[in-house]
Amino acid sequence: MDGLMRMGDMEADAVPEVALAPQGMEGALGDSLEEAFAGVTIGSDRYEPLADGEYDAVVLGTGLTECIMSGLLSVSGLKVLNVDRNQYYGGLSASLNLKQLFEKFKGVQVDPPESVFGKSRDYNVDLVPKFIMASGNMVNMLIYCDVAKYLDFKLVDGSFVFSGSRPHKVPVTPSEAMTSGLMGLLEKNRCRQFFSWVHFYDLEDESTWQKRDIRKVTMGEIYKYFGLQKDTIEFIGHSLALWRDESYIEQPALETVQKIKHYADSLARYGKSPYLYPLYGLGELPQSFARLSAVHGGTFMLGAAIDSVLYDSEGKACGVRAGNQAAKCKFVVGDHSYFPDKVQKKGKVVRCYCVLSSPPANTRDSNSCQIIIPARQTKTNRKSDIYVLVLSSAHKVAPEGKYIALVSTTVETDDPASELKPGLDLLGPIIDSFLAVDDMYEPASSGQADQCFITRSYDATTHFETAVDDVCDVYQRIFGKALDLSAPKPGSR
Amino acid sequence: MPNMRSKTKLLKIVILGDSGVGKTSLMERYVNQRFSQQYKATIGADFLSKDIELEDRMANLQIWDTAGQERYQSLGSAFYRGSDACVLVYDVTDLRSFESLETWREEFLAYAANRDPETFPLVVLGNKIDIVDRAKAVPTKRAQQWCAAKGGVPHFETSAAEDINVEAAFQLVATLALKRGEQEEEFFLPETVEINQNTAQEPCNC
Repeated sequence: MDGLMRMGDMEADAVPEVALAPQGMEGALGDSLEEAFAGVTIGSDRYEPLADGEYDAVVLGTGLTECIMSGLLSVSGLKVLNVDRNQYYGGLSASLNLKQLFEKFKGVQVDPPESVFGKSRDYNVDLVPKFIMASGNMVNMLIYCDVAKYLDFKLVDGSFVFSGSRPHKVPVTPSEAMTSGLMGLLEKNRCRQFFSWVHFYDLEDESTWQKRDIRKVTMGEIYKYFGLQKDTIEFIGHSLALWRDESYIEQPALETVQKIKHYADSLARYGKSPYLYPLYGLGELPQSFARLSAVHGGTFMLGAAIDSVLYDSEGKACGVRAGNQAAKCKFVVGDHSYFPDKVQKKGKVVRCYCVLSSPPANTRDSNSCQIIIPARQTKTNRKSDIYVLVLSSAHKVAPEGKYIALVSTTVETDDPASELKPGLDLLGPIIDSFLAVDDMYEPASSGQADQCFITRSYDATTHFETAVDDVCDVYQRIFGKALDLSAPKPGSR
Repeated sequence: MPNMRSKTKLLKIVILGDSGVGKTSLMERYVNQRFSQQYKATIGADFLSKDIELEDRMANLQIWDTAGQERYQSLGSAFYRGSDACVLVYDVTDLRSFESLETWREEFLAYAANRDPETFPLVVLGNKIDIVDRAKAVPTKRAQQWCAAKGGVPHFETSAAEDINVEAAFQLVATLALKRGEQEEEFFLPETVEINQNTAQEPCNC
């Protein structure tokens, strides 16, 4: 353990108290053990109790969003049962070892040859690959819930953008802009002036504006003012502001300027890189929130197949059933896979998980990096960028000498596999790969009517900002008020 | 923190075993010298920490409770990561809890001991010997044989209620963990970053 810093402070009691009960739910249940032993009655049916048999909330699935919700609900004093059909945590955002990966994508029970791959258990391959922005809301969530102490994080080595024929390191400071191979000399100068303007822009101080009010002027006009070229605009928009398409250019520049500042803040926080990643893979994240929930009384059952959600005469969820067992509850939270008739499809994501024996070329031998391929660089009509994430033994997700590359994008054609080609072409020799095309789902309704609060699928973005937005959204739908991540922690009072 | 780190060795110890064998009680007894007769399934226990001096070195023992997640075998890999030692607990009056040790040991080693699982520091505690006269379901000899077969795992019979052998058992766990930790230092450990409130800014505006 020496040299390996545990996250956060080590106070066992520094856990946030979310001091509110949801609307119409005054406090937690009392001791329901007696009732549990007597069986559970829901409507006119009697069941054996599932776990304790009666809860305030049942959470279906142990993906990141579900586990964060489970933690927040338990901390707020509700009695929570959290169930997953799989034997492992993470649901649709789990990290799998190599054997599990073969099983899932090749449908075979094999032992991948150790001579080729190394040990299966040294792999932790994320089904939904993402990085954590160092000053993003995922970090705020980890701090707010005080679960960072359960995890170890490490910086991601580098961030690259594909331009012309190869990846280039993303310049983000004026001095980096001056040394980047991405731009010619004159353009470097213009870019440096742009960064400097962004850096000093202060909404409160008109003298920093250079006569441009970013609440009114579009981003396109700003680019024009600085005379920036297409390739520069592309890496600014897609690799720094992290927009996924071009529609932002016609919008007021405010949000884009904030996003660029945000990227720069993330970079400034730990130095070399704006991205963090947990040791052993993203699958550790939901588990840390699950532990938070458990420490506050949440019950966890893995490998439990839920057959159905039970509804009362008004169509409100009032329990869940597994075989002849059931648990009563006041509302249900879950991922879309538990509510096939209550969700709608919203596009598809294609992801390819690749095992490599060396890092991709032109990434300065990074042991971990991101490469963004802006849609325009593919020289096709596509609108969505292609993302490549590379990880290795440095983050303990692959054996020594092996690299995991995850290529993903939003599906736009009938041939999703081919859409990834520009990303796959960057990787060099691939030892083996696994392809997944997943529908994305969102809830068909807010959940107030049926008390089923359904989470969204994880999108193709390479960071967690949209996932945290979904947590905030589900929280708002359940409690009728916003989740305030800046609320003071009890320890600081 | 960095100052402390260079002098005090942080040791993560996990305590495993079936529900109701007395894991939380043993921790409470060792760290806080407390015992409660009333059994309550664990809620609110995260980890307890205790500073000890061992062979002229300071160590901060962090003893991690299962937080009740063992009840339906739902502990998850993250719980085991980075452990320096493991305390396996069974109830001497409950044979099944002894038989479960096999599974707990395997699960622990699978996630926590990438190197040398055979020599990873484990200690086995048979708890509740204070009520042993009534019905001793697990004979001492049987437990000793099992421990010997697992490469000579140290075995103690303990009572959290009457404070028997608790101090000695944890002292040994700490010693073993510290020894292993010293060997471990020779291996490369990745450089991690610290996430805490001091570095937090820009709250969520959702």
